[in-house]
Amino acid sequence: MPDKHRGVFSLIIINKAGGLIYQREFQAGLRKLSTNDYLVLAGTFHGVHAITRSITPKIPISQPAQPPATSSTGTAAPATSGYSYPNPGVPVSGLDHLETDKFRLTCFQTLTGTKFLLFTDPLTGSVDTIIQKIYELYADFVMKNPFYQIEMPVRCEAFDRHLGAWLRGRT
Amino acid sequence: MAAASKATASSSSTVNGSISTLNNPRLLKMSYYFTILSPTDTPLFNIAFGTSKGGGDGIARFRFPETAQYMNQFIIHSSLDILEEAQWTNSGMYLKHIDTYPPAAAYITAFLTPSGARFLLLHQPPNLPSSTSTGSGLGSSSLLGTAGSTTRASSSSIAANPTSPQTEEAVRQFMSEVYESYVKTAMSPFYKQGMEIKSPVFRTRVTAAGKKWL
Amino acid sequence: MAAPRHATMQSISNGGTQGSDRPHTQQSQQAQQSQQSPGLRVPSNRKTIYDRHLNRSRNAELSRASFAFLFGEMVTYAQRRVTGIQDLEKRLNEQGYPLGLRLLDLLFYRSTSTSSSALSSSSTSSSPPNRPLRIITLLHLIHGPLWRLLFGRAADALEHSVSPDTPNEYMITDNDPMVNTYISAPRDMSMLNCAAYVAGIIEGVCDGCGFETKVSAHNQPTELWPSRTVFLVRFGDAVMEREKVLERAGVK
Repeated sequence: MPDKHRGVFSLIIINKAGGLIYQREFQAGLRKLSTNDYLVLAGTFHGVHAITRSITPKIPISQPAQPPATSSTGTAAPATSGYSYPNPGVPVSGLDHLETDKFRLTCFQTLTGTKFLLFTDPLTGSVDTIIQKIYELYADFVMKNPFYQIEMPVRCEAFDRHLGAWLRGRT
Repeated sequence: MAAASKATASSSSTVNGSISTLNNPRLLKMSYYFTILSPTDTPLFNIAFGTSKGGGDGIARFRFPETAQYMNQFIIHSSLDILEEAQWTNSGMYLKHIDTYPPAAAYITAFLTPSGARFLLLHQPPNLPSSTSTGSGLGSSSLLGTAGSTTRASSSSIAANPTSPQTEEAVRQFMSEVYESYVKTAMSPFYKQGMEIKSPVFRTRVTAAGKKWL
Repeated sequence: MAAPRHATMQSISNGGTQGSDRPHTQQSQQAQQSQQSPGLRVPSNRKTIYDRHLNRSRNAELSRASFAFLFGEMVTYAQRRVTGIQDLEKRLNEQGYPLGLRLLDLLFYRSTSTSSSALSSSSTSSSPPNRPLRIITLLHLIHGPLWRLLFGRAADALEHSVSPDTPNEYMITDNDPMVNTYISAPRDMSMLNCAAYVAGIIEGVCDGCGFETKVSAHNQPTELWPSRTVFLVRFGDAVMEREKVLERAGVK
């Protein structure tokens, strides 16, 4: 699938406080935003993401199957645990992707709260694989770099190089 | 490896062959003084021991016991000049017999680690009775001595001739075994090059190697 | 755990008065320890470093990620209170130096033990690795066996300085130094090369063999190899003089 990489427009990395730490375009001819606008974009997205997470609806628990004889405090339990997220084991993810007819924005959040926003062509397939690889490169060339200070803007030449090379030619 | 084991086998066979092992010239009890010196000539480790093979008790009995303590070190250090010459002409680690100090009949054998530590073994045969002095006052020494003087074979035995190929091979085995323990010491993160080796386990290992090969 | 309890029991049986219970315990404990081995604390599995075989980890694989994090922390540590890039490189060099001294012994130990591992071969063929006496032998040792021990492959090039003014300079090139894989130096420190640590290792090896040397790491990127590094090995005057003497004497 030679189209896979061509469909990647740009990448934004947002730290867990909502600050923009990395921004890069992979195609010429994209409309440029000012640095300030990128910062605003990152902050706004961070806020929207947090809101979508908190408004994730809970569903009523289908069967209040508490054995009645368990404990005396059991009376209070059904009232509070009447509603739950559909899949309690999985943390609430919030906004996952956003699609327009010209592009698709995919958001990937790491365990530590760093967010990767990938802008792709809506027709690009296997975006998850691309994001996973980007995450891997980030873990290698950013997090293992002794000169990188956590939560600060990413200025790692090796990361840029490997990211570009992989997206360009999938080396 | 093979040659050394052959040597051990032959010596043990003689032990089996003659019941009175004390009369066997091969079992001449040697005294050894082994030192490790750092590349800058600081002593890192010292040990004195004697032959343990063939019923030896493994205790060193130097010819001049009252001065041996410092004379051994003196003799060893005086061989360092020769060692430093040999170091740059012989690229092996085992430099074999490099020096002799005739007044004390002390033979020096050297081994050089690649990182410059020197293993030096002083080798002293016991006093022969021809010199009439009772020497170290070892009870069995007279018995040994007579055997040694009657049969000139003693000069070709492992112990009695420190420059014979068998001895060189035995010392080589001893040195390689010490070298292994030394590398283990050097690899310890708490050991810095040039530090005295104080580990009792290391001492036990060297003693064991001495028992096994010398 | 069992030993102290046992000691306490002993002290109770020995000690008459209750007041002197404690000192007794300590004494008997000490006595017991010194009986086993004086002043030695043995790990719980009773195995000291002398009981482990040196070739045990010979073919073991090491996690590249854990090395990267460890080395990253070493760089961060070296970076504390440094005055500049040169100072930082000097500190990295100093961290590598003792490792070089140690590796030298290990390298020779391992090469002897492989050759003798062919047990059937007679003892005459033992100890084939020779201590390097000449510069070229030493450099080949670094370029080949040492690099393989450290990085699993030989270095990429070994050159002698072409300039007649500096006959004591040699260059070892590594196209992609393992230590720098994940490191990108910030722009204001573009001269920095963290392979100064490896330079320290080389210096340790040379010094250990009796070759007084200064080794430094330099960035020489090419299109194909962006983190290509050249280790400049500068031998001291005494070494060069000895080299001449040995050459005349025909020592190899």
